[in-house]
Amino acid sequence: MNYHSYSKKKRASFSDTMLVLTILFLFVPLFVVTFFSFNSAKGMQWEHASLIWYKTLIFDSPSLWLAFKNSIIIALTSSITATVLGSLAAIGITWYRFKGRSYITTISYLPMVLPEVIIGISMLIFFSSVKIKLGMFTIFVAHATFNLPFVFMMVQARLDEFDYSTIEAARDLGANERQALMKVVVPAIMPAILSSFLMCTTMSLEDFVITFFVSGPGSGTLPLYVYSMIRYGVSPVINALSFVMILGTMLIAFTFRRFLKTAAAST
Amino acid sequence: MKKKVLKPAKREQLLGMLYSFPMGIWFTVFFTVPLAIIILYSFMKRGLYGGVEYSFTLEAYKQMINPSFAKVLVRTLWISAFSTILCVLIAIPVGYAMAKSKHQTLLLFLIIIPFWTNSLIRIYAWISILSTEGFLNSLLIRLGIVKEGLHLIYNNGSVILVLVYMYLPFAILPLFTTIDKFDFFLLDAARDLGATKLESIVKVMFPNIKSGLSTAFIFTFIPIFGAYTVPLLVGGKDSTMIGNIIVDQVSKTRNWPLASAFSMILTIASLIGVFWMLASAQREAAAKNKNTPQAYEQKVRAHHRRGKR
Amino acid sequence: MEVYTMKHIRLILIVLLAGLLGFTLISCNRASKSAEKLYLYNWTYYTPDELVAKFKKETGIEIIIDNFASNEEMFAKVMAGGAEGYDIIFPSSDYTSIMINHGLVQELDHSLLPNLKYVSPTVTEKADYDPDLKYHVPYFMGSSGIAVNTARVPFEYERTWAIFADQRMAGRMTFLDDMREVMGAALKHLGYSGNTTDERELDEATALIINEWKPNIIKFDSESFGKAFSRGEFWVVHSYPENVFAELPADMWDSVDFFIPPEGGMMYIDNMVIPNGAKNVKNAHKFMNFIHDPKNYAIFLDEFDFPPTTNTGAEKYMKNDAFFFTDKDLVNSDLNDDLGEYLDLYNARWQKIRYEH
Repeated sequence: MNYHSYSKKKRASFSDTMLVLTILFLFVPLFVVTFFSFNSAKGMQWEHASLIWYKTLIFDSPSLWLAFKNSIIIALTSSITATVLGSLAAIGITWYRFKGRSYITTISYLPMVLPEVIIGISMLIFFSSVKIKLGMFTIFVAHATFNLPFVFMMVQARLDEFDYSTIEAARDLGANERQALMKVVVPAIMPAILSSFLMCTTMSLEDFVITFFVSGPGSGTLPLYVYSMIRYGVSPVINALSFVMILGTMLIAFTFRRFLKTAAAST
Repeated sequence: MKKKVLKPAKREQLLGMLYSFPMGIWFTVFFTVPLAIIILYSFMKRGLYGGVEYSFTLEAYKQMINPSFAKVLVRTLWISAFSTILCVLIAIPVGYAMAKSKHQTLLLFLIIIPFWTNSLIRIYAWISILSTEGFLNSLLIRLGIVKEGLHLIYNNGSVILVLVYMYLPFAILPLFTTIDKFDFFLLDAARDLGATKLESIVKVMFPNIKSGLSTAFIFTFIPIFGAYTVPLLVGGKDSTMIGNIIVDQVSKTRNWPLASAFSMILTIASLIGVFWMLASAQREAAAKNKNTPQAYEQKVRAHHRRGKR
Repeated sequence: MEVYTMKHIRLILIVLLAGLLGFTLISCNRASKSAEKLYLYNWTYYTPDELVAKFKKETGIEIIIDNFASNEEMFAKVMAGGAEGYDIIFPSSDYTSIMINHGLVQELDHSLLPNLKYVSPTVTEKADYDPDLKYHVPYFMGSSGIAVNTARVPFEYERTWAIFADQRMAGRMTFLDDMREVMGAALKHLGYSGNTTDERELDEATALIINEWKPNIIKFDSESFGKAFSRGEFWVVHSYPENVFAELPADMWDSVDFFIPPEGGMMYIDNMVIPNGAKNVKNAHKFMNFIHDPKNYAIFLDEFDFPPTTNTGAEKYMKNDAFFFTDKDLVNSDLNDDLGEYLDLYNARWQKIRYEH
């Protein structure tokens, strides 16, 4: 794209300034939290640098590791479920016509749009009326449910750009449905599948409101743990945990940096 | 293996259903049914210790009509509207700068990291910054700018600030995506035809990114409207929003029909918003066919012929 | 359009798998495994870590605790079927009564609870919902009160509920976000019962809160007031003493004035119950008995600097001798009664207080 007539002009354009300011704004809290995680004192007065809170975090927080384990298990299972179901459905909806198509299309956007409290409460009330015990399973169900629309949308977007004649060519060459699917379609839409899997895992790991409503005994996830720490816990340990989680997020984003743009487009 | 050869239409139906029904069934069971239950509950009598009694009544909806709830609703509306507008206003130049940039992946990386960081941690960070004994005030006092800590937190202002912080990426990303697809040559064309930089942006780019704008609005407004954690943690005694009321009705007063009734209203409002957004996206897709550089030149020539305004 | 070959996919999958394996191994190592378990649904940090460890050492049973910050939150979970995995729940008196009456809890086997002999008769007297302890074992009898940061409030103030009308501390005071506690405080201050169902009295209390107290407080907070108090953010908090003092280093305790207003307030008795469907009933009984062993109960009391209520044998094992309050301070206080449908009288007014004004 060549539009030098714009960027040559002034020193820093208004939009570039806004961009820098916004990025600073987004990062400042993260910096503050990280900074104080290395403070040996409990409060806001800087004493000296220390890793003591990290030590406490790693060695002295058994419930943290339980929560972490739960979070990972739920994130992976719900993401895999959502990715598989959503991708298949995206293929079905984009290329086929059948009864119930418009119902599915409409219903799949809704969870994305409704406020989380509504989804959380409706699932809580649902589980209680059909007498399903709250626990890891219910959290898994809830997460898969709110992840599905994202997978569906992202894969669908990719499919829209996909040239259907490739499939027809494959058919002409004798491929049956399964072969066409596995050898032609899936590799081509892999970026969308991977980026939606990535989005699902991230959203599952950081979800609080919905998990809050549907969790049960011993099934607390990391965000729930953070919440109880905010209510009652040693502040700097939360800071240390925050920094670790930020690092983790950076790692995930960096690994999948090729897919970031597709992920952004799905929002 | 003997293959059954189906007629094309039937085969299409079958395959389509095979692909889509797993998700469809999942949604029906775990989403449609819960929503239906909520609708049902909103018309039922409240059980004394939680739950409902199965008798039809409009009691819950009548209870909603109440000056205290009206006050909370109004407050939620103006906080949401204000926060959303702020988000979108900031997101437009930011999305523009990002779309223009040659370092898109890096910028995306920078925007997405905070976005993907646990929301509670981000809220907690703001609490430690804004508290009267917190980071910002300690800094201000140390620099001698103020004598005592300012009351920056536990009020509507801090709620708006943190809401904007949390939902800014929701506005930036769709706008970035749409602006990215926008053909910047159109702006050059407009400049060639005599428009100023601002004019070209406003009169050429804006109409073309309408779908991005409406997506940004909806994806920001709706979650903000139903926000719960932010007003709970950084709000004061008078910062209650609708999300808090709904949760309170479930966990504190155990008035499930009322919680359901509120949820219904919130859901309907969200649906209206979504349909508006989808409709405007459709309109824009239709209008896109009319948006070629040639078409624009025609429009501007006609405009100039009529004399500058 | 880029095409991703199987090579790419395989690589990414391997990385993911390795990561998953790694994480699971680490977290499995940290989240200890143990044969016998006991699931508690308890108030936030109400069982000292020391006792949890001691229990594990003596019985081999690992305790896993989930927290709640209010009876309502706990009960909502119970009613929604979300409490079935718990072996012991810790409701307050009114909710104990509700849960017993709703058949949500199971009968206790007193043969497994010899230490019940140490449970104080003062407590069992007040437990008119189950005086023979058929369904519950009292955990602790205590009270909320007011904590004042005298370093930031160095002047004279009224040591009653009326402190909240004091505008000098405006913006630095908080109430518990608890309807019975706050309305109870107002009712007691006006000389009424904290369980009254007289609408005129309730209206008077509501007006008092809205007109004189609420303008001065900054937040209704039942959860993080302790931390904020310790940071000097809030100076006067309606609070449970254990939450406040747990956040402060011992050398700062002298600067905190905690008192229960002489008009009385709302006291509480928290109990242990075993819900129906609990899986580790024997372990639950073991824990209940363990807690009331005077030596262990003394550890519990010392941890939170509680006064020796509830357990008669503990006092002589306690290391502390200075308490935030004593039995005598509770003389005028009321216990939360289960008000049944009269609760709506309170609900309607609390709604006005919280949302309308």
